[in-house]
Amino acid sequence: MRRIAIATVLGASLAVMAAPAQAAWQSYVSHKLGFSFEAPGDVKTTTGTYRGQVAGPHESIIFRSVDDNIEYKVTVMSFMQAQADGASLIGERAYMFQDKKKVLMDTFGRVEPGKDAIYGRKITVEQPNNGGRTLGGFYFVNGKMIVLEATILPANGDYGSPDPGRFIDSIVFQLQRTQSGATELKLPE
Amino acid sequence: MRSRFSAWTVAAFATAALIGSSAPASAAWRGYISHTLGFAFAAPGDLKFERGKYQAPVAGACDTMVWRATDEGVEYKVIVVDTTAQANKSATLLGEAEYVFQDKKKLLMDAFGRVDGKYGRKLSIDVPNKGGRIIAAFWFVNGRIVTLQASVPADGDVDSPEMARFVDSITFYPVRAADDALELQLAK
Repeated sequence: MRRIAIATVLGASLAVMAAPAQAAWQSYVSHKLGFSFEAPGDVKTTTGTYRGQVAGPHESIIFRSVDDNIEYKVTVMSFMQAQADGASLIGERAYMFQDKKKVLMDTFGRVEPGKDAIYGRKITVEQPNNGGRTLGGFYFVNGKMIVLEATILPANGDYGSPDPGRFIDSIVFQLQRTQSGATELKLPE
Repeated sequence: MRSRFSAWTVAAFATAALIGSSAPASAAWRGYISHTLGFAFAAPGDLKFERGKYQAPVAGACDTMVWRATDEGVEYKVIVVDTTAQANKSATLLGEAEYVFQDKKKLLMDAFGRVDGKYGRKLSIDVPNKGGRIIAAFWFVNGRIVTLQASVPADGDVDSPEMARFVDSITFYPVRAADDALELQLAK
């Protein structure tokens, strides 16, 4: 009986060791940009460029982490001079996200309750050529376009993983709702 | 033989005329434009103007201008919601209007709308309790929510192509409006 118990404990330990190590989720906040979110692993800051026919060329700030072959990315672009065009700008970005891809979901996104609500869209697509599955969230707040994307890469293969949904739905614009102890996001110099 | 042929011809014309006269008269479509509001569209019949109110949690209480026409059982409506004082929230205001439109209703279509460099959405719903069907398009133009809605009662022709013709007729470039488009009269 004791042998069976020892074997069970050893077997369980080996199973845990063989599974890929998953990073802990933590909360990130940018008081300057006005939002927070949760993601696993270390989030790195880079810059990029975005170009749309309506938006034109724009610099972007990208916050990115990868964990368990799922890429988590938040892209922020500033349109302070074109806030009244926000509806079209976010529509264009969402359209480009799903253009020529298989759309699995396209629905309303709403963050914060009542009069503080921010409306956006949530879309899931399959990337072409077995490139994985991406869940995106699109919002336009205070002159900034904020796009969250979580891509389950083929190496992960678990397209039913709840982690992309957890990431997309973790966005907060009322910062008093941000978890205490959230890490302040580094912005480019 | 010749007189017999004439009788048949006369009978055929008479029947066709009777069928034509018994069908409901369909009004001619014409173009409408508002240079002030920044859009143009086409609708059948004469448009009637009225003021209204729009209320939603984010937008609050807003004044509306509504132009309405009815033809062959289909109601055509253009609603302009004045959100100019909070136009910097355009994306959320438009999203809220779309959400309110389809909330608690059977959503048949929810697709991207793209016209003249503007992005909006097109939605189609069944109104509860056999209230008919509505096709709508939502845009944000010059600080205002602009929505075109064509509705038909449940016992009407819910597949009428005229509804989509109306919704898709919008343009934001005046040069694309009908040459003889009527200028919309705005509230004094």
